[in-house]
Amino acid sequence: MRVPPDRLKLIAALVLLVALHFVLRPRFAPSPFAPDLVLVALIFLAIRTRPAVGAVAGFVVGLLSDAVSPTTFGAGAFALTIVGFAAGWLKAVVFADNLLVNALIVFAASWLRDILQVAASNQLRGGALGLQLLVLSPAAALSTAAAALVALLLLRGWLTAVPSR
Amino acid sequence: MTIGTERYGSRADTAVFVVCLVLSVVALALPEGLRLPIASALRRTVLLPVVTAERQAAQSREERQDVLALRAQRDSLALAAALLPDLRAENAQLRALLRLGGRLGYGYVGAEVLHQTGLTDGLTLLLSAGRREGVELLAPVVAPTGLLGAILSVDAHSSVAMAWSHPDFRVSATVEGGRIFGIVAARRGEAAGEVMELTGIAYRETLPVGTPVVTSGLGGIFPRGIPIGTVQGVLRETAGWERTYLLKPAVHPAQVSHVMVLSLDRAADTLTAAFDTLPAPGDSVPKP
Repeated sequence: MRVPPDRLKLIAALVLLVALHFVLRPRFAPSPFAPDLVLVALIFLAIRTRPAVGAVAGFVVGLLSDAVSPTTFGAGAFALTIVGFAAGWLKAVVFADNLLVNALIVFAASWLRDILQVAASNQLRGGALGLQLLVLSPAAALSTAAAALVALLLLRGWLTAVPSR
Repeated sequence: MTIGTERYGSRADTAVFVVCLVLSVVALALPEGLRLPIASALRRTVLLPVVTAERQAAQSREERQDVLALRAQRDSLALAAALLPDLRAENAQLRALLRLGGRLGYGYVGAEVLHQTGLTDGLTLLLSAGRREGVELLAPVVAPTGLLGAILSVDAHSSVAMAWSHPDFRVSATVEGGRIFGIVAARRGEAAGEVMELTGIAYRETLPVGTPVVTSGLGGIFPRGIPIGTVQGVLRETAGWERTYLLKPAVHPAQVSHVMVLSLDRAADTLTAAFDTLPAPGDSVPKP
């Protein structure tokens, strides 16, 4: 089976984002506001494929991220399944394709992921829950959206492909 | 950017979504006994490269922080090491001055030399003690190892000392226990504070190299027995008449940080024993 060059570029771009996430982030001081490039890659994939692909990818990525913090095993998979599916579905509904819309979707996806994950894991209460969902999560979503914007600008030529459905 | 235009949520999409959702709920509901082994298996297999990359990146960050910390420590140590010789020298001078003060007993004022950056520093020195502290005009200025000069002018809380390296400075000197006399002055044409000359030594007298030269006590200013320098050799001779000797100074004006200004009341005293030199026969430190 021959894979079209455009699709290879898209896969390479997504792999690059994931690799950067795991190589670059630990090199800097831990911060709750650090951008989540894996989520960016997931959203980029979801909005370029069917919602089902987004859901499966979200489930897999979520499960793997849960494996790193097994206290809430399944919460990430739950959250990212919904986010991946919703991103694909939302893109089909909205259909507008520009940088800001993409960044906005990433921002919303990041915040929604945090809300779902916090709810599913049931670890936070009271003030800590409020701080997480109303301060830290939006800030992290903002940095993730900014990272998505930069990635879109830098990898514009690599993100044009539409993977087969 | 091109996005697929025929995207919509089909039943198949919804079914896959529901399956994934159910699986994630199942994962959430797993008992800890199952949850941890599954997570561990994932970390050891699929996530192994990721975990390794993260670990290496974290190590790299820690090493970078270590390097920065080490660099800061090295800079601090380098700074401390650079200051250490100066501090040691100053400490040594202060200790020697304390010993001198103990031996002198009375009739002196301690002062700090406020070195200036000007070209004349070393010829005249600004001292941190003045009239209010008991400094008098023409009073002898000494360091632990010997004579530095005399007070040239006095203000309320500071004074200016003429160092022996000044072209106008002269002091009556003696060697060999007061048997030979001469006049010591700075060696003209030499760099300030490097060498001095002893003039007026009778031709028949020969001073071996290393002979200590001290103040003679003549003139009513400098007490007897303050070290001036040591003989380095004959500088010139006036046949049948006199010899001039080159002296290595006991004190280098540019290197002194603390001094003592002696009271003029002590001009008649003999201070040989107060300094770190061998006392001449019959010399003694007077009691207050």
